[in-house]
Amino acid sequence: MLQFILRRLFQGVLVVFGVSATVFVVTRLAGDPVSLMLPLSATEAQRIAFAQQIGLDQPIAAQFMRFLGDIVTLDFGNSLWQRRPAIDVVFERLPNTMLLIAAGLGSAVILSIPLGAIAALRPGGLVDRLTMSIGLLGLAMPQFWIGLIAILIFAVQLKWLPTSGMGTVAHIVLPALTLSLTPLARFTMMVRAAMIDELNKQYVKTARAKGLGLPRILRVHTLRNILVPFLSISGWELISTLSGYTVVVETVFAWPGLGLTAVQAIQRGDLFLMQAIVFVIAILIVIIGIVLDILSKAVDPRIELN
Amino acid sequence: MTTKLLAQAVGLATIFACTTVAPAWAQSITIAIGSEPSTLDPQLRDDGGERQVNDNIYETLMARTPTGELVPGLAAAVPTQVDATTWQFKLREGVKFHNGEPFNADAVVASVTRVIDPANNSEQMAYYGTIKGAEKVDDLTVNLVTNGPDPILPSRLYWMKMIAPGYSKDGDLAGAPVGTGPYKFESWNRGTDLTLVANSDYWRGEPEIDGVTYRFVTEPGTRLSGLLSGEFDVITNLLPEFTESVPKFAAVRSLETSVFVLGTDNEVTKDPKVRQALNLAIDRQSMVESLFMGYASVAKGSHINPAAVGFNEKLEPYPYDIEKAKALIKEAGAEGKPLVVVGESGRWLKDREQIEAVAGYWAETGLQVTTDIQEFSQYLESLMGDGPRPDSIFIANSNELLDADREMSFIYHKDGAAASNSDAEMAAMIEAARTETDAAKRKSIYDQIQQKGHELSYTVPLFNLQDIYGLSERMEWQPRVDAKMIVSEMKVAE
Repeated sequence: MLQFILRRLFQGVLVVFGVSATVFVVTRLAGDPVSLMLPLSATEAQRIAFAQQIGLDQPIAAQFMRFLGDIVTLDFGNSLWQRRPAIDVVFERLPNTMLLIAAGLGSAVILSIPLGAIAALRPGGLVDRLTMSIGLLGLAMPQFWIGLIAILIFAVQLKWLPTSGMGTVAHIVLPALTLSLTPLARFTMMVRAAMIDELNKQYVKTARAKGLGLPRILRVHTLRNILVPFLSISGWELISTLSGYTVVVETVFAWPGLGLTAVQAIQRGDLFLMQAIVFVIAILIVIIGIVLDILSKAVDPRIELN
Repeated sequence: MTTKLLAQAVGLATIFACTTVAPAWAQSITIAIGSEPSTLDPQLRDDGGERQVNDNIYETLMARTPTGELVPGLAAAVPTQVDATTWQFKLREGVKFHNGEPFNADAVVASVTRVIDPANNSEQMAYYGTIKGAEKVDDLTVNLVTNGPDPILPSRLYWMKMIAPGYSKDGDLAGAPVGTGPYKFESWNRGTDLTLVANSDYWRGEPEIDGVTYRFVTEPGTRLSGLLSGEFDVITNLLPEFTESVPKFAAVRSLETSVFVLGTDNEVTKDPKVRQALNLAIDRQSMVESLFMGYASVAKGSHINPAAVGFNEKLEPYPYDIEKAKALIKEAGAEGKPLVVVGESGRWLKDREQIEAVAGYWAETGLQVTTDIQEFSQYLESLMGDGPRPDSIFIANSNELLDADREMSFIYHKDGAAASNSDAEMAAMIEAARTETDAAKRKSIYDQIQQKGHELSYTVPLFNLQDIYGLSERMEWQPRVDAKMIVSEMKVAE
């Protein structure tokens, strides 16, 4: 086990390094941050002075060496946009994103298991058809659109919830709901398919023949068997959410998380902040991967951690 | 069952309790702006979000009326010139900063010295490049010294916010600003909102609105929803097509003028006939109606802002005459020749729509038109880089100081960052005007430059754009031509 964790950590370091190096190169290829940061009317002398100040006048190799040193000390330099340490901005916004993901993905996990199970028990029944329709909608509609429609219905028309921002419990409802819809659809379909599959297996028939009730079969055998694929798909959704969905949802709902900050950093050519954000997200994704593997092993001891 | 009901009731009650906005004071308003201030230090960044907040906390020596006229602010009167490079400002008596420090000559010297200090590398130096320093004469008199004659100095001081000398040394300028303005800083939840309260000791008298909360909402659709749901009282950058769906709105000519800069040394556009044809081929009025729902006006024959000092009011807009344009292209032998239209998307109001509509008009003249919409940093390189000048490039040019020198130096002067001509004579005229301290003479040089630029079609001016604000039912406000959102000028109906 320890050997496994160490090996995965080592692989993780390589991944984070690779991602960081890619971001380093891409941010420097994607246009001149100096002209993005300074006003259009800035003079040539100001542009040169600014490039010197942020070290962009150095040869690219020297910049990269400095960048590697920065990674080790977790010092990514000052955000060009906010003029304070980039890593501070990241750690300030990260908890907000975590909160949103916990609420959104958490509710998707909690809702999907009963919904999928009920749908699987009566394939073609009312609950099944309803769940599948909602699921298809959740997968087909872009989150951006879902978010705006949700605002129109629940905030503008019904005035039940605030349109945007963060602060109270009410503020998290709409963004979390919007964020949860796609994963909820995916989870529910997965649970439904896996359950139908499991329920047709011989051991279920045997158990029923022995006189075991369906609830007990589900609880003791079936759910446990679908937990492993469920874990891996939810890990995948967690990673997609962290690195993608939150960008859209946070922008629509003005939720001050890392996704919105990433959009703003890109718009403003703030390469130091971008580097810090990508670095932290890469580390989180590596950690999520390791934790998922360990959890799978705990659920199903037959899994070899290699 | 009862517990379940109870739980539901509690849940609903929590939601309702959380959504009711508790009014902490009788009259407070909420303004939704598109971008959060990057810092609240008023002297470092060139940042619209920072200005929208700090314009209410800080003040400047010179100010503008809502219609754009330059008037004394913290100065007691308009400055007098001691010699070609020295301007003397008398200061208002009895003005205090929010922390009790007096506003006096020391404060002006400290403010000027700090913003021009190379160590601070302020982005605002684009506005203050000519300023050499400030000298105290007596407690309420200051001399500002420029490197050379600079007739625009009073306008520059309309931009420079005055900071408290003591607080600037040991206070938190970036996080908790202290100014002389009608509103005091109260709190800032990074990423979410920022609150100001009225300054009851304000030297012009306490403002009517007691408090203002700024909310940072990037997405225009969400800003609109917040206005419709009653959460916001003022929202910025309302799209023209939404003016009919909001409770109230107010539109005013903005600082921006959209224009194409033509490459006067390029293969096809070097011929003045071609450039003239490009100007005649566009039906600007119909674009005003279809793209902007009427909330823009056709530029009057030049890309200089009509509110700017030095604007030539005698010029007329280029007429729409497609037949003449076709004839000119034929005369120039340019039929079927290529013309590249460079632009960007999403930075300015209806930018891509303007670029594509104009490219469509130009294609009708017989030129082979291709449109190249570039990613913003690539576009900036095309606009201001060292590479070859594009045949035509779009820009919505902003003139913060409301002085013609800005657009002249940037677009007409051959060494200007966005210029695409090599007219040495025009460059010499711009330099002469820049240091001409006689206002009438300066104006006449600017008139001549615009006349020449108009006749030779160095640019294709399009529209004077408008800023549209969405307002809640209870708001009363006439927005300003300088785009500043001065809360002390707003009113809330009872």
